[in-house]
Amino acid sequence: MKHRIIGVLGVALAASLVASACGSSSSSSSDTAASNDTVAAGAADTGTPTTGGTIHILSQLEQITHLDPQRNYTGSDLAFVGSTMQRALTSYAYASGTEGSKLVADLATDTGTPTEGGKVWSFTLRGGATYEDGSEVTCADIAYGVSRVFATDIIVDGPTYAITYLDIPKDADGNSNYPGPYKATADQQALFDKAVACSSDGKTITFNLNRVVADFNYTTTLLAFSPVPKAKDTGEKYDNAPVSSGPYKIKSYEPGKSLVLVRNDKWSKASDPVRHAYVDSYVYEFALDPAVIDERLMADAGDDQYAVSDAGLQPENLQTVFNDDKFKDRRQDSYDPYISFTAFNAKTVSCVEVRRAVYLGLDREALRTAGGGPYTGDFADGFIKPALADDYAPNKMPDGLNKDGTPNIEAAKAALDEAKTKCPDVYAKATGDGLKFFHPDTPTWQKNISIWIESMKAVGIVIKPTAVEPSKYYPTVQNDKTDYDIARGAWGPDWPNASTMIPELFLTSGGFNLTRNGDDPAYKQFETDTKAALNELDRTAQGTKWKALNQFLVNQLWSLPGTFLKAQDIWGSKVGNAYKWASSGSYLFGELYVKQ
Amino acid sequence: MSAAVDTPFFYFPVARLLRIALTRFIVRRIFFALVLLAAVSLFTYLLFALLPTDPAALTCGKNCKPELIAANRVRLGYDKPIYEQYWQFVRGIFAGRTYGSGDIAFKCPAPSLGYSFNQHECVSTLIGKTFPVTAYLSLGSFVLWMLLGVGTGIIAALHRGKWQDRLTSLVTSIGVSLPTFYVGLLVLFSVVIWLQWLPFPHYASPTDNLHDFLTAMILPWITLAVLSAASYTRLTRNGVLEAMNEDFVRFGVAKGLKNRTVMRKYVLRAALIPIVTIAGLDFAALLGGAIVTESVFSLPGMGRLAIRSVTDSDLPVLVGTTLVAAVFIVMANAIVDIIYGVLDPRVRLK
Repeated sequence: MKHRIIGVLGVALAASLVASACGSSSSSSSDTAASNDTVAAGAADTGTPTTGGTIHILSQLEQITHLDPQRNYTGSDLAFVGSTMQRALTSYAYASGTEGSKLVADLATDTGTPTEGGKVWSFTLRGGATYEDGSEVTCADIAYGVSRVFATDIIVDGPTYAITYLDIPKDADGNSNYPGPYKATADQQALFDKAVACSSDGKTITFNLNRVVADFNYTTTLLAFSPVPKAKDTGEKYDNAPVSSGPYKIKSYEPGKSLVLVRNDKWSKASDPVRHAYVDSYVYEFALDPAVIDERLMADAGDDQYAVSDAGLQPENLQTVFNDDKFKDRRQDSYDPYISFTAFNAKTVSCVEVRRAVYLGLDREALRTAGGGPYTGDFADGFIKPALADDYAPNKMPDGLNKDGTPNIEAAKAALDEAKTKCPDVYAKATGDGLKFFHPDTPTWQKNISIWIESMKAVGIVIKPTAVEPSKYYPTVQNDKTDYDIARGAWGPDWPNASTMIPELFLTSGGFNLTRNGDDPAYKQFETDTKAALNELDRTAQGTKWKALNQFLVNQLWSLPGTFLKAQDIWGSKVGNAYKWASSGSYLFGELYVKQ
Repeated sequence: MSAAVDTPFFYFPVARLLRIALTRFIVRRIFFALVLLAAVSLFTYLLFALLPTDPAALTCGKNCKPELIAANRVRLGYDKPIYEQYWQFVRGIFAGRTYGSGDIAFKCPAPSLGYSFNQHECVSTLIGKTFPVTAYLSLGSFVLWMLLGVGTGIIAALHRGKWQDRLTSLVTSIGVSLPTFYVGLLVLFSVVIWLQWLPFPHYASPTDNLHDFLTAMILPWITLAVLSAASYTRLTRNGVLEAMNEDFVRFGVAKGLKNRTVMRKYVLRAALIPIVTIAGLDFAALLGGAIVTESVFSLPGMGRLAIRSVTDSDLPVLVGTTLVAAVFIVMANAIVDIIYGVLDPRVRLK
């Protein structure tokens, strides 16, 4: 699942950040997990499904961000496209609750076989799968689909794990020597064919990786590992008319208006152990005003009784929906996949006592209130959400941290006093010139930064804010030359394994490490432990390692845990299975059914 | 010259001179219109270049490394100097443009306004799909608002100072001050969602499904018409009252003409001239896209296409829609100028 925290649009960026007041868990987070993880226990009816009917999906978007499987990378799109039209080697169980993050086989007969300690992965194809034109899905099609990921000048926006993991040489700048299928010479194509090989009988596909990837079979759930028939590939244009290998196919697609899916009569249930395909068709209605979507779902009239929305409720309707019992069977307040955090630049704020003083003295409750109150989310107790059930355990939080998110000025001042003697340079900077705080220039952050400045002033720490134009915010803070001391961020896992959280956020090679922690004395050990977790093939043992690392990060405070973000939804009264899928944080669209 | 017109002896040479002057005038107007359109497109490019938003960064996903942003910049063509981008654009209008290479290459034929990488479609195709929606919306609401606005304006003027006039004045004050967004949502919520008198609008072309077309259009037409009619009511009322005090109207009345004849042939003809001029310009502006109405009623028109191009920083679409909107405005201006020129020779000679 992709959680595009780095918003593609300013609006998306704002949405992901706006929702997040800062702050962290106070609590002994078991409370947090037990009382709020409604992913497992929503109001959604998971009764006996019936077949037939049409499900309507109301959207404020103008189109599906990407239908092209190799470019598809948002949680909602992956769930929609993956459950209706595009199959991959592996998938997650089509089930509610934490069961929904369990790995299962899809086009493959099992969840893959690792050899060489997880450096080589093989998948045997189950056979019998066909495209909408009746032709068979072949091993070569899967390999070709993966090869498209390398055409980074055309196949953009999608996950690039294939480029990172596959054993294909890179040039001095770190770019792959294989340019993708459209431009590759015979020699370059040979590099790819060596890394991704089909057996002579076409029944087994083998991926040779450049490192041990213990959870590569999670990676292969991404639609970047879906088949594409080479003869049907139209490059850039494939995005609007991909060939279906799932139970539905496109009947009509008019961006800005609607997408209509109907049954793919060439799909065979016998070849697909995952999908049930209850309804006869889907109508995705685009470009609706968010206020109109909410109002239609609340009114629950006509076809809207069979409707869901791909976005949450608007803040102004939360009280109406959650205070009125007439909505009780069709509303849900659940975690989305994201965690917000505040990263310190560990090079310039190298003193853990100063970082702790900030954490203890920060008015997290005021920030959460500014962001929308408790519906925004719960104070996080680390960097792994409870939905990652194999990897989550409550952490012990720093002494003195108030559970209710209010600041503990005395404890913060005591921590700052410790810093005065232990790290006088950082102390002097924090209380003198001040800490440079970079944030996106959004309306919410214009409010939040005032709360930061005021609450730090009470502790004796000076905050110097820098507002960055939203579309440039992440490129700015990801640039090593930007001299911030504190920066905001949020992140969600690409698949239900902390391997896509902790390494991404805290290894120097991670995709979104804002902490610049490579020179920290504690880093070497952390790196060793993280790599050990990454290489662990036993899932239970791996989970234990992630739990320990999560606690280490809370002690180290390179980043302050912010909020386990939440979303609220309402759906039509005749929609069944309207649960949030643990692996994507969105509806499992392909499992929805129409109640009789 | 006007004196010459009055002298029959010079009639033919003068008419010829007039025709030449008019032709020159029209040619001059069209020439300036084209220059203006070129300037509009150039300024749109320059303004886009000055925007703080980085379109390449906007297309970059989760692992947004600088090298990926740089690659995206090349893909979208934003790595080139702005003058070169503009030149490619101008050339594409006459020669079309080809994107990509090898088996996956595709062409946006002339007149090409570019290609939208966000929507995977040639801009001219996008405009071709969305313009009819906007045209239907504009035409329907225009007819309604003219009937409504002029009608109520005449009633108000004929009943000056009476309750009809006061009521009209009150209603138009409210109409003028109400924002389209608010009224649109209110109409949609009440008629469709709460009262359920109509199904939720799903636009269809009138040739494909007339029923869906009408149910999708009726509310936007009414919303736009009611709000726009308000100012026309006032204009008509004032114009009619003013004309009624003119000497030629008194003359008509003194001649013993029927009231209806005086109103139709003397008063309205004089009062409506400025209204028709303004209406022409308003209609042209509407053809460029009724952004708010199209958004509220989910109509896939050109206004929504334009606003989306702004939020997506989709330069080709932004320039394309701006240019098409500008064409309508410039055309309307030119037509108005020409008509004025035809009606009033003094304008021609300036």
